[in-house]
Amino acid sequence: MKRLFIFFSMIFLFTGVAMAQRTIQGSVKSSGQEPLIGANVVVKGTTTGTTTDLDGSFKLSLQNSAGVLVISYTGYETQEITLTSSNQYNILLSESALGLEEVVVVGYGTQQKRTITGNVASIKGEDIASMSVQSFDQALQGRAAGVNVSIPNGVLNNPPVFRIRGINSINLSSFPLIVIDGVPTFAGDLSANSAANNILSNLNPSDIQSIEILKDASAAAIYGSRASAGVVLISTKRGKQGSTKVSYETWGSWAKVNRLPELLNAAQYLEIKNEGAKNANLPQQFFPQVVNGQTVDTRWYDYIYQTGFSHNHNLSFSGGSDKTTFFLSMGFTDQNGMIKANSFERKSARLNLDHKVSKIISMGASVGYSDNLNAAPNTGSLPGQAFNTSGLGRIPLVTAPIVSPFNADGSYNISSNNQPGRGANLQQIGFVNPVPVIDLNTFTSGASQIQASVFANVNLLKGLVLRTQYGIDNVMTESISFASPVHGDGFGSNGSATNNFANRQRWNWQNTLQYDLTLAESHNFSLLAGNEQQYTKSEGWGANRTVIADPFFTTFQGNFTTIVPSGNFQGENYLLSYFGRLNYDFNKKYLVTLNLRQDEFSAFAPGKKRGIFWGASAGWSISEESFWKESLGGTINYLRLRGSYGEVGNNNGIGDFASLGLYGSGLYATDPTLAFSQAGNPDLSWETSQKTDIGLNFGLFNDRITGEISYFRNLIDGLILNAPLSPSKGVPGNSIATNIGSMLNTGWEFGLSGTVMRKGKFSWNSNFNLTFMENEVKTLASGNADILASTGGLETANIIRVGESVGSLYVVETQGVNPANGRRIFINGKGEKVQYTHVVAAGQSRWTYLDGRTATAVNQSADGKIYGPTLPKWFGAWDNTFRYGNFDLNFQLQYSGGNYIYNGTKAGLRDARFWNSHTDVLDRWTESNTAGSIPRVVYGDNISNGSAIPMSENVEKGDFMRLRNVTLGYSIPTSVFGEKVKISSLRVYANINNAFLLTGYSGTDPEVSSNGNSNQAPGVDRNSVPMARTFLVGLNVGF
Amino acid sequence: MKMHIKFYKKVLVAGLFLTSLFNTSCNEELLDPVPLTTFSEASVFNTPDRILQQVRGIYSAVKNGSFYGGRFLIYHDIRGEEFLNETTNGVTGFSTWTHTIVSSTGEVNTLWNAAYYAINSANLLIDGLEKNKTVLNNETLANSYLAEARFLRALCYHSMLSIYARPFADGNGSKPGLPLRLLPEKGAANNDLARATVAEVYTQILSDLNFAEQNLPANYATPYLNTTRAHKNTAIALKTRVFLEMGRYQDVITEATKIVSTTEPFRASSGVANALQADVTNTFRTPYTTTESIFSMPMTELNLPGTQNGLGSYYNPGPRGIGDFSLNPKGIIGNTADFSATDKRRGWVLTVSNKPYLNKFPIGPQHLDYVPVIRYAEVLLNLAEAIARTTGVNARAVALLNAVHGRSDAAKVYTAAEFANGTALANQILTERRIELVGEGFRTRDLMRLLQTIPGKANVAAVNPSQSEYIWPIPQAELNVNKLIVQNP
Repeated sequence: MKRLFIFFSMIFLFTGVAMAQRTIQGSVKSSGQEPLIGANVVVKGTTTGTTTDLDGSFKLSLQNSAGVLVISYTGYETQEITLTSSNQYNILLSESALGLEEVVVVGYGTQQKRTITGNVASIKGEDIASMSVQSFDQALQGRAAGVNVSIPNGVLNNPPVFRIRGINSINLSSFPLIVIDGVPTFAGDLSANSAANNILSNLNPSDIQSIEILKDASAAAIYGSRASAGVVLISTKRGKQGSTKVSYETWGSWAKVNRLPELLNAAQYLEIKNEGAKNANLPQQFFPQVVNGQTVDTRWYDYIYQTGFSHNHNLSFSGGSDKTTFFLSMGFTDQNGMIKANSFERKSARLNLDHKVSKIISMGASVGYSDNLNAAPNTGSLPGQAFNTSGLGRIPLVTAPIVSPFNADGSYNISSNNQPGRGANLQQIGFVNPVPVIDLNTFTSGASQIQASVFANVNLLKGLVLRTQYGIDNVMTESISFASPVHGDGFGSNGSATNNFANRQRWNWQNTLQYDLTLAESHNFSLLAGNEQQYTKSEGWGANRTVIADPFFTTFQGNFTTIVPSGNFQGENYLLSYFGRLNYDFNKKYLVTLNLRQDEFSAFAPGKKRGIFWGASAGWSISEESFWKESLGGTINYLRLRGSYGEVGNNNGIGDFASLGLYGSGLYATDPTLAFSQAGNPDLSWETSQKTDIGLNFGLFNDRITGEISYFRNLIDGLILNAPLSPSKGVPGNSIATNIGSMLNTGWEFGLSGTVMRKGKFSWNSNFNLTFMENEVKTLASGNADILASTGGLETANIIRVGESVGSLYVVETQGVNPANGRRIFINGKGEKVQYTHVVAAGQSRWTYLDGRTATAVNQSADGKIYGPTLPKWFGAWDNTFRYGNFDLNFQLQYSGGNYIYNGTKAGLRDARFWNSHTDVLDRWTESNTAGSIPRVVYGDNISNGSAIPMSENVEKGDFMRLRNVTLGYSIPTSVFGEKVKISSLRVYANINNAFLLTGYSGTDPEVSSNGNSNQAPGVDRNSVPMARTFLVGLNVGF
Repeated sequence: MKMHIKFYKKVLVAGLFLTSLFNTSCNEELLDPVPLTTFSEASVFNTPDRILQQVRGIYSAVKNGSFYGGRFLIYHDIRGEEFLNETTNGVTGFSTWTHTIVSSTGEVNTLWNAAYYAINSANLLIDGLEKNKTVLNNETLANSYLAEARFLRALCYHSMLSIYARPFADGNGSKPGLPLRLLPEKGAANNDLARATVAEVYTQILSDLNFAEQNLPANYATPYLNTTRAHKNTAIALKTRVFLEMGRYQDVITEATKIVSTTEPFRASSGVANALQADVTNTFRTPYTTTESIFSMPMTELNLPGTQNGLGSYYNPGPRGIGDFSLNPKGIIGNTADFSATDKRRGWVLTVSNKPYLNKFPIGPQHLDYVPVIRYAEVLLNLAEAIARTTGVNARAVALLNAVHGRSDAAKVYTAAEFANGTALANQILTERRIELVGEGFRTRDLMRLLQTIPGKANVAAVNPSQSEYIWPIPQAELNVNKLIVQNP
């Protein structure tokens, strides 16, 4: 080989001497102005070429006759430049959309993208680094086919709803496994109070190099037991050999609330509510108020929402020698939400080191430390909070506009029974006054997390690598809440302070042996064998102090007269695994991957802890066949068929002692007690899912356009359900965890990306994905008994029923308003029309048939109908980047639909109690407006609107298209700074997030999920705060 | 040199492998972690003390905030006409107050769950103790524990009949009652069970109470235990209530006579010396353990009824409670003829911001007032009414009425001559119950056992006995799973 090279060099030397030559020079940089080190610069059709140096510059001698220069770099689009008389060429490469030559991270290793037969989506860190988000997962919206991420509402650091190929469990978590630099990490909201603390926010998004999403069984099976909901592999940035690069990134942003419902003003409120009182045979109940000479007309939104300013800073250093490379970063972000008193702060630092000890041994470390602090009022917008009477999502909707938050003397307008003062009104006018609640109560949750791992690789033989990696992930959270005795949640206990501390500690040790071997130059083998252990211990403790000694105190440490324990827990779990993988390909043409993994997990029943999981996949690169190359190879340069099947498991979210029959210790006044607390199941074991994936990958016009089509089928079996038991059996929770039930997700994914146009300085890259999917519940526990799921413990709008999509809506059908009398018409289970009026004379029925005969009251169980699914049937995004010279413009359109939403907020906005209403109630039925769309208003009526019985009037379609992101950037040519200022790149940009929404949905936002990541009660919009719209300006500079 | 590197390599590799294998084998025990805060079900009958803790566990289950910790009493009071709703909060009984309960309403489900959890706790204890009697090595003690469990089971079933089933008087117990669960339930089996008739459930209640009367201790060592644990007189007292609700007045008299002397001062002559207190307000203040309180739910700061469950939370205005309900000026407090201004019990009415509130359970915001389950005053009124309904106007019945009324309102002494007949006397006794037992969960029970209309209040209409709202529906969660259960019409 060496000789051959010398031989050719000699030839070139000779020919070079023979012909006229010149020398050109220049630089190769990424579109983000990052120098690309080691890029190939070759004269087309020859082997004359060079590679760029550490600054991305090159110098090349070539013949005068040379016409075209080909510049290529792994992961970037190859570019051809026609040579002119100039000797200076500064070339910007844009990243290739698919990068088939790229090496991607897979479970316990890396693999060339071209040889992967599983389904893996890759996302570049820089795509998500410059957004006004708290955690990276919030920025994954629309980034990959089959991956549906939605933000539940505008509360900062509320975990997004994150689903890979749909809902993959009913009772356990459908949130994917998140692995950071090889160590599975914690996910979810770890706060013990209203200040949401999505713990993934501890990872600074700017530190992320790449994110790989493993979707099918083949890709994910190596994570066997935890792969059911998909796996997200995150690789943080590592140093590259070369002089030290310094990068500073900053942005500032402004968040505003978007699409608030339009409410009745004071005059309209008086009209509607007094009309309702009259219809309920009551005298006038509500009266205009005058404070300081002004008639009160309070827009409660103004006291709750704000323009929240946020700013973010990252400073990183990277570089290294041929032996040691490093990446060092520091980040600081301080964010304020659109809701008053809602903030997020993170301080983070990371050091990633790689060192070659010798030719055979290399080692490294990844150490990330992060400290966050979340503060939020009671927003009523986290899962379970939908009906909080102090929830700020709900308060402005229910509080009457006819009272003021303040008295004439400036004091809070509050009553002795913890309501806003009602003044002369004869009825209650609100649950609480939000102003003192925001002013006086505090909820915070802070987390300190260290994620650290060290590894060593030993090259035992050629191709044989032993790797060991030991990692820890420790997160300590402190949740602090104080509720003032003056008003709101602390009133009933005369002041309440709760502190909770929790410590979650994990260690993870992996040992793998990787052997790569090529036989006869065309049989490529890659073998992996390994074992992994992971131990997690969780402990929490805390206390609640009530009855404040003096209003002076505002913290737990102040004096209170009582104290009780609160938030104590103690648990541990352990996972012991052995696994292996074989990759084989013949000339990269025929590819096979086999995965096998055995897991034992402590939480399952004795004898049932072990699970064996596997995946197999095969691929055929048709384009490698000579017949293809000769015929279609010029157009379709890459074509591969692949398929996979496997069985993976799920234990994500199961309680540490879920299989045991337990008795809890309690108190009967002063004496200890023992009582049945958990039904045990000696058969409790893994949930398994059988995943099938069939796909086609292609590249057109020399990979200018690449695409992917996949079909998937995921049959989840042995779902661990809290099998409902008859409550009359008196078993705790009326359920027993049982491996019963199955569910099927099927769908199609389409992805297409490439360069639509490139002309001179102009280029247009486009990336499109679209997913179609369906869910069907196949079997359930207790003879396929329905599972009903509630929102905030009060409203039950969702059902899990065999044959339906999981979490469909279960409501009573309504058919408008009876024009004859203004009563709401319900359709009962027999298909009969039944009407309702709230106030009747003694002995008469509120429920009647249209002819006046008494009818049975409508109820959900007898008369409910299914509306579904609540999961989008189709979703995706279209991402476009336009570049002209140094300008870049990106916009991302996101679309989703085919689903239904239960707009419970709408029910609240039409409730005929004192609650304020949407202006649509002005079109209520009256004797002069018999075509009114809203029933006759009767004071106190909570049935005609759907507050008491969920009804189809409040079911709406969830289709939408959103301009998720628009970014305009300008890369300032470094030449303007001159030689003295060592700036290598500088980009300024502006971004609008959630810029535009097109939807027929009448609520605040079709993505709102009042129940967060709930598998059982998705698609419910109940009293949540809306989404934010964010404006951002940013600057990235490199030295 | 080459040799050296190879050697080094081998040692390193061997070391790494050994360490990993060693490490793995050493951690096998981590696969079977033992919870540090809960007990395995296999160990709860291991010691006499754990068995006793389980007995207390049944009381604690009955004391659930949704049940006798507070809410059950509240439901029977706010369904009636004595209270007005102030907070329109669906979580704190608004639907109960307005009679707009449906099968999915929160309280319909939580009460059912709490009561049946207590019933299963009793069944688990009965079953487990029968199998582990040797642990106690004391037959009498074992039987007294069984008797406590059966007493509490009877109390649960009787309480639930009062709200989920038609009154006994409607068809003499022939209407659907409750699923009668008498066996321990731990797992997935036996979801389906049809409702026994009201009469069948009553039969079981009486069987349990008879066993309890036989086997409960006559008394305990302290007044605290005599009030918070069941003894013989507790079972007898509950029987007077059970028979009264069945309309078996003669049996009320028989049972009551066991614990009420024939002449004044009325007191129990055996077991705990249960008797009226001279001052009724002493019953409702610390230490809450007078002999009048036959059975109460004790409270401590570490064992409270829970948020929005305590009696004081509903009835006390802030800051001692949330004040969800004020007293209806048109209810019993508006009756100055029978409830005179000088009646000591007028002290239970506290006016705040021109609204009268019930001040019978004043401690808050920590609702430490014991919840009265059975008071001697009730037994006397049960007996008085039974006598009035069986023998007409009777001196003993009037004396019993006077015993309860007179201690709070000495100015008024009822005489037999005031009553035209037994019904008139019984009605006066019912009025007295409205005064004496207000806030203790009797209002709609007293109406319903006599099939009387539940009066209206504010803009809530009256409910007559033929309306479906007269009783609560069977909860949705039960209907979803128990294929044999039938909803109330």
